[in-house]
Amino acid sequence: MIDAALIEQIANAVLAEIRSGEGVSSVPCERPRSDDTETLEDITGEECRRRILIEEACDAHALTRMKTRTNARIGVGRAGPRYKTRTLLTLRADHAAARDAVFMDVDQGILDDMGLFAVESRCADKNEFLTRPDLGRKLSESAVHDIRARCGANPDVQIFAADGLSSTAISANLPDLLPCLTDGLKDKGVAVGTPFFVRNGRVGIMDCVSELLGAKVTCVLLGERPGLATAESMSAYIAYNARVGMPESERTVVSNIHRGGTPPVEAGAYLAEALRKILKAKASGVNLRKEWEA
Amino acid sequence: MHRNIITSVGIDIGTSTTQVVFANLALDNTSGYFAVPHVKFVGKTVLYKSPIRFTPLKNHLVLDDEAIRRMVLSEYESAGMSPRDIDTGAVIITGESARKENAARLLESLSDLAGEFVVSTAGPDLEAVIAGKGSGAQRISEERGICVVNFDIGGGTTNIAAFDDGETIAKGCLDIGGRLIRIEDGGIAYVSGSARRMASSIGLALEVGDPASADALRAVCGVMTGLLEQAAGISEATALLDETRTPGSTPFAAPERIDAICFSGGVADCLASAGGPPFRYGDVGPILGELIAGSGLCRSFKRITPEETIRATVVGAGSYTTTVSGSTISHGGGILPIKNIPALKLERAEQEICFGGCPEYLRERMEWFLRQNDENTMLLAIEGEISPSYSRLKSLASCVYSAMSSALPEGAPLLIALERDMAKALGQLVERMASPGRAVICVDSVHIEPGDYVDLGHPLMGGLVIPVVVKTLAIG
Repeated sequence: MIDAALIEQIANAVLAEIRSGEGVSSVPCERPRSDDTETLEDITGEECRRRILIEEACDAHALTRMKTRTNARIGVGRAGPRYKTRTLLTLRADHAAARDAVFMDVDQGILDDMGLFAVESRCADKNEFLTRPDLGRKLSESAVHDIRARCGANPDVQIFAADGLSSTAISANLPDLLPCLTDGLKDKGVAVGTPFFVRNGRVGIMDCVSELLGAKVTCVLLGERPGLATAESMSAYIAYNARVGMPESERTVVSNIHRGGTPPVEAGAYLAEALRKILKAKASGVNLRKEWEA
Repeated sequence: MHRNIITSVGIDIGTSTTQVVFANLALDNTSGYFAVPHVKFVGKTVLYKSPIRFTPLKNHLVLDDEAIRRMVLSEYESAGMSPRDIDTGAVIITGESARKENAARLLESLSDLAGEFVVSTAGPDLEAVIAGKGSGAQRISEERGICVVNFDIGGGTTNIAAFDDGETIAKGCLDIGGRLIRIEDGGIAYVSGSARRMASSIGLALEVGDPASADALRAVCGVMTGLLEQAAGISEATALLDETRTPGSTPFAAPERIDAICFSGGVADCLASAGGPPFRYGDVGPILGELIAGSGLCRSFKRITPEETIRATVVGAGSYTTTVSGSTISHGGGILPIKNIPALKLERAEQEICFGGCPEYLRERMEWFLRQNDENTMLLAIEGEISPSYSRLKSLASCVYSAMSSALPEGAPLLIALERDMAKALGQLVERMASPGRAVICVDSVHIEPGDYVDLGHPLMGGLVIPVVVKTLAIG
């Protein structure tokens, strides 16, 4: 129980102190000068993240090693019961990166460099995308038109990309992954459909794409919901004979594609092999696993 | 993709003893269903440990290869194993034995006897690492995140390895051991060259036939102990330390910070059992053990209880010599297994030239390497980089392919090993350039140092991984 009299007593003491001018910082705030050329450290950079913020850690050596094994915010110390300012700022920077990944659009220049045309789901904007998952699983009318006009029908494998919840993941991984993946398929004589990009798309939109083009295997490369560890993680969802209303268990998923997980080029080569296997087995997801275990 | 179990053999022919161990190694995909596979060893079970027997010798310098062969064969029988059951493993001739005149012939005959993918390895640096893994020092270093130095003190040599957070950071070997001086009927029956050198450093002359004086031998063992202290960095190194270094080993660079030490090898058993007749084993092992137990080594550092002492090397050889490649690799054609491939390790700067796409440098480097080794096959070892771009990778692939296909004879396989996770992508690129008759094998997660030899085994886990043995010296 908090004693009201005690609180009052403390408050009065503080007020008295303020009135007398004691205890108030008399050091003027140091304002950064405009001619200051010193560069600020990137608090989201590797070097800053590796730093131990605990003062006089009893085994800094061991802590350093522990920090190399995780990107969790360990060894950051505390100020009273709270984070230190630096930790709080890093956390907010990471959160900002995560929000950016969700709300920003993939740069058109990146899509142009890869020769991808862009279409939209039925979501008008990001807000609708976030609030109406059902619309993110369907192609807009113009998307249906464009895809039909620009993509060949009945490919062995149809690959496309969608921003999902992270545009950053697409910008970071797709330019290196996509050519490696398509080379790996074409080398082995697999007929690969014309790739494209879907804005505001979710996983289920691959079912519409598959039905529209009559693809045997459909693969969507999609930005994953960003976390505070990375906003760049991409996944590949793959299905044999994808169709609207199909069970989720028939999708094969390869997740954690980013430079700190499975690097994009390596993931591209792995996916090329996985897609060839799925094409050959005529099965994906749980059915493929059954096939392998048989 | 079921869990795979492979059977491994370790055969250790030491200066004093010969031992055999059989073990099962379990492999499994440890990554989830929703990610790229990651296969690794998930369990090791020792199936059979042979009794410890003296290594049969014809005389002090010549191994009795016939008798050793019979001994190993009888251990297979006792364990209920046949060479056909063995998937991998290592035959190791350690310490002074490795330098005995018929070691190479013996290795070859045993290697044939012991299954298709058993490697013959010998090399003091590698043995130090193997012993440190067999003793459990490496595991403790990894589990506790500390720096542990393992001293495997055998009959002829002391193999030293330092592990920091599970990684090998230093290794070396000294001609120090319990059987450098042998005693029969109260007289000195054998003195090794290094023991003679250590004795003369304190003004003693040990000759075969002299009566064995406990005081004199204690003094010589004191020199040995002093050298071990120097190796650990707790006293200033003398010229004698380098003179005692086993030929073919690297000088042991003691880590600045050592959290704990561990003793294995036969002499480790003598550390605890002080007292008793000093010459009870016909050698100076008990005296050496007693002196080490009271030395600065044990005063300065925390001591870890080893899992294995005299069997550390053989258990290490049986359980830890085989590693697996990364799980996203590229291999075509049924050319595996292949053994004793010399590895050309590129330095960082050389790697950068290759990423730049210019094949002339690499071709010359490879041609020189093949001539030096008098070989017509080789493995190219590159560190690689974290998440290279596709265009950089293409440029590396065309450089590597162009250099390898012109430096290597027609039909020779293109073997590439990387450290970083990029082998499947690089392999895919090299393969599309290669003519149909060329096998391309590209693996990653393999650490190779200059001068190493490599064995690549049959693919496991439905072709996901390839067992890899990296060794410092190949005989045969």
